[in-house]
Amino acid sequence: MSIWKQFRLELGRLLKNPWTWLIIILTVISPVVGLTLYRPLFSTSNMAYITTMTGLYLANPALAGGTVGAVLFAIFTLWELSRVKRSDVDALTDAVCSPMTAAFVRLAALLCVSIVAQWLTMLAWLPYTINMVGAVFDGTSYITVYLIFMYGALPLAILFAAAAWQFTQRFNLSMVLFILFGGLSLTVWGQNWQLCWLNPCVWAVSDDFSNRRLFWGVAYMRLTWLIALAGLWGISYLCIRRYGKGAVGSLCCNIRRPYRPLLAVLLLCCAGLFYVKQPFVDHSDLNIDFNYLFNVNYLENVTCSGRFADVHPNAETGELFGRAVFRLQNTGNQETEVRFHINPGYKITSVTANGKAAPYRLEAGEQLNVRELCIGLPETGDIELSIEYGGYPQEWNTQATAQGEPEISSQYMKLENTVLAPTPYDIGYAGDTLPASMDITLPGAMTPLLFGSGTTEFLKENPDGSKTWRMMGEGYNMIVYAGDYICEEIDAAGLKVNFYYARKHQPVMEAASAAESVRQVIEYCTDHYGPLQFYGNGTFDLIQSRVSGGGYAGDGASIADELDFTARNLGNNGKGGSAGEVVIHELVHQWWGLGNMFDPADVDGIWSSEGLTTYTTYRIVKELYGEEEARKNYVEHWQAEVADYYKDFYVRHPEYLSVLPEEYQADISNSLRGVRQYSEMALKILKAEELVGGEEAMDEILHNLFTRELNPEYPYLTYQEFLDACGLTEEELSLD
Amino acid sequence: MKIQMEQLSMTYPGGKQALRDVSLTLESPCLVGLLGPNGAGKSTLMKLLTAGLLPTAGGIRIDGQPLLKCEKQLKASLGYLPQAFGLYDELTVYQFLDYMAALKGICDSRQAVKEAIMAVNLKEKEKARIRTLSGGQRQRVGIAQAILGRPEFLVLDEPTVGLDPEERVNFRNMFSRIARKRLVLLSTHIIEDIQHVCDRLIVIGKGQVLFDGTPEQLISMTKAPSLEEAYLQLISKEAGR
Repeated sequence: MSIWKQFRLELGRLLKNPWTWLIIILTVISPVVGLTLYRPLFSTSNMAYITTMTGLYLANPALAGGTVGAVLFAIFTLWELSRVKRSDVDALTDAVCSPMTAAFVRLAALLCVSIVAQWLTMLAWLPYTINMVGAVFDGTSYITVYLIFMYGALPLAILFAAAAWQFTQRFNLSMVLFILFGGLSLTVWGQNWQLCWLNPCVWAVSDDFSNRRLFWGVAYMRLTWLIALAGLWGISYLCIRRYGKGAVGSLCCNIRRPYRPLLAVLLLCCAGLFYVKQPFVDHSDLNIDFNYLFNVNYLENVTCSGRFADVHPNAETGELFGRAVFRLQNTGNQETEVRFHINPGYKITSVTANGKAAPYRLEAGEQLNVRELCIGLPETGDIELSIEYGGYPQEWNTQATAQGEPEISSQYMKLENTVLAPTPYDIGYAGDTLPASMDITLPGAMTPLLFGSGTTEFLKENPDGSKTWRMMGEGYNMIVYAGDYICEEIDAAGLKVNFYYARKHQPVMEAASAAESVRQVIEYCTDHYGPLQFYGNGTFDLIQSRVSGGGYAGDGASIADELDFTARNLGNNGKGGSAGEVVIHELVHQWWGLGNMFDPADVDGIWSSEGLTTYTTYRIVKELYGEEEARKNYVEHWQAEVADYYKDFYVRHPEYLSVLPEEYQADISNSLRGVRQYSEMALKILKAEELVGGEEAMDEILHNLFTRELNPEYPYLTYQEFLDACGLTEEELSLD
Repeated sequence: MKIQMEQLSMTYPGGKQALRDVSLTLESPCLVGLLGPNGAGKSTLMKLLTAGLLPTAGGIRIDGQPLLKCEKQLKASLGYLPQAFGLYDELTVYQFLDYMAALKGICDSRQAVKEAIMAVNLKEKEKARIRTLSGGQRQRVGIAQAILGRPEFLVLDEPTVGLDPEERVNFRNMFSRIARKRLVLLSTHIIEDIQHVCDRLIVIGKGQVLFDGTPEQLISMTKAPSLEEAYLQLISKEAGR
């Protein structure tokens, strides 16, 4: 008899069962939980950090659907398997068919039902997701997110439940085992990206750029578990009761065919291997020694006078291969060992000095996301050291639960420092600076952006459609962004501003008149507070980056997180009265909020980057659109928010907040903190403005604060510094 | 088909000995009646013959092959109706029998299912969900699945329980017809059925074979006026020991 026909009939039987359809319908509905109760990528506070549109309306529902669907299918699996025994159908089936074959067919049919549920879920949620995600919706991401984030959990639940049943033959006990297994994922294993099989570690999903690394990481975790649970199921398969015997007796009978236990053990070993040999995250020492990076004993007799790299990221595999050439001078007249840092995921394929093979070794340990490459230099004076390297770059293990960089895909790349090329560790520059150049070959549609000072020029188009670009810069390190970028050239405050953003985001940016906002902010803030320290020589690159939880700035360039420009954020009336004004708000953060402007440890206080930013946004809007508009959209909004805040039950009775469950506590605290930082502080600054004598006086104070000489021991702008600059006390700014 | 049981013993894990040194040979074509009081070991014997249990001692050979070596072949040529069984309530009669036909590996399942449905007189109910059937109709579905595909070896444990007298007679006759070409092992408490159709009678008591012969031989051996009397005499004599 063909097992295929048996499978078809079993599947047909399941699909004729109304309980099957109940489970399917509940699974289809389950993503709604991700919009309400279970939102791993979302904070309920409308002021605080929110996630991308894809995160909000696709990843959250898919993750919730995966969790709820897994529980539903585990119950369904146990129900169906126990039902065969409970209703004595096995008395008939076992007589004519091997119970092991029947178990295999039942498992396959259950898995198939879960696939039906998954596709129906995807179909059902498609119109809603398209509508909510808006211009940045992407069909491939939709399918990928649902398949990896949601569907990935269902077969795992089915396999575990079926294995538990086959071991115990008891519904209740199997259910308890499943609850324990799922509970571990939600609690103890929750912060281990390889173990949280039910709730994968996903902190953000990009709208505008690719999510390849994140998707691969979650898919890898789910695949590891799939293999492990297939192995577990294989062991439990051997315990399927036969000949009236118990688990052990049946095991003794079933084990007679050696390929069965061998296959199960092989699967378990494979899963173990997958776990240990994961390629995504390094194994850096968790006792971080920053002195290792900053207290370097440079070699006295070896210097570097130039660096060149030829880099080939592979958009298909996510790997990177390259060759780095260093011009070194060994003045010690003896063989010397030099040390380089490379990404722990890379392998060295060749090291030559002046064309001859040079001895090298890779140190075993890893720290701070680097591995040491030790190379023996010949005693020759001038040496051209060439290193060929490559592989799949690994992320620092401290970021294991927030994976996503370095991203190498056909849509987006972010390549930094040792990901691009080995970096000398104990070799100083021969001069004051080190000329560096790099040829990078990218997919044809990509525009490469060199972060910081330097130039980028197009070199050639290759026969395969890829393009090679040459980047000239300084120093050992480079940071390269590449993607399908649109560049808007804006003249503002005497600068040529290149505003780069993703082509996918063009409709949103145009609707918000983002380029105009950039010009307005740069002109206003430069005029009122002074130029940004990181303005380049007449040009300034403002680059939208893949979601990373924040921006940063350097020589002539600044990174703006895509989170700043999501449709939801642009509609946040706490930040501005329109999308364009929210863009203004986010850009004002270039003055108030980048780098070390505010103490990151003091996130809970009222003093943050948001107060000054919101106040400045109000001032810009007032200048652009008049006092009435600014008062209505800002001052009155702040006053209403603050009035509500003072009436809030948990503000008046904080003792009740502390007894709430942690997740609710965090949500309420975030929301309250948001009101304080965005509205209360802005009102206080407005009050300070009145007390110091008006807008001009306040502008001068803020100008002085912005351009003040930093205290290197504590470079942050504090509330007290602000008060001192205004000549006011905290009590004077009280809003009561 | 020839089934040989050699010094077959079966002791359950709890220690209860259900069969003790049972040696029998069953050969087709034949309708073998199995009689015995409750707990005598009839169902255990049937489960052993259908590979539902493994004997603790002795062995079973199917056409000369040890049962475990030809289990697959045995299952392919077996029709079994246990005393207690369940059905998938959500399926129709036809769907359930089609499902069982697939499990049995019957190639022309459509024909086999139709034949079985006709044989048990369920034509009118073939599209009815099993959950809507009466107890007797469910029993008929059970019989239908057992006779599906004309199995070489038919094992029926109390097949006529819950059937009305007319149906009982019909099925009794059907088993008799089947046994003209194949081997049928019929366990029942209804002596009349045995007397009318069985070529051979095996009486089991306390896990041992008390009698193996024709019903007529049992009557003449006990000099009882009827098979029922003869059976009762045999059982009470055994109980007296």
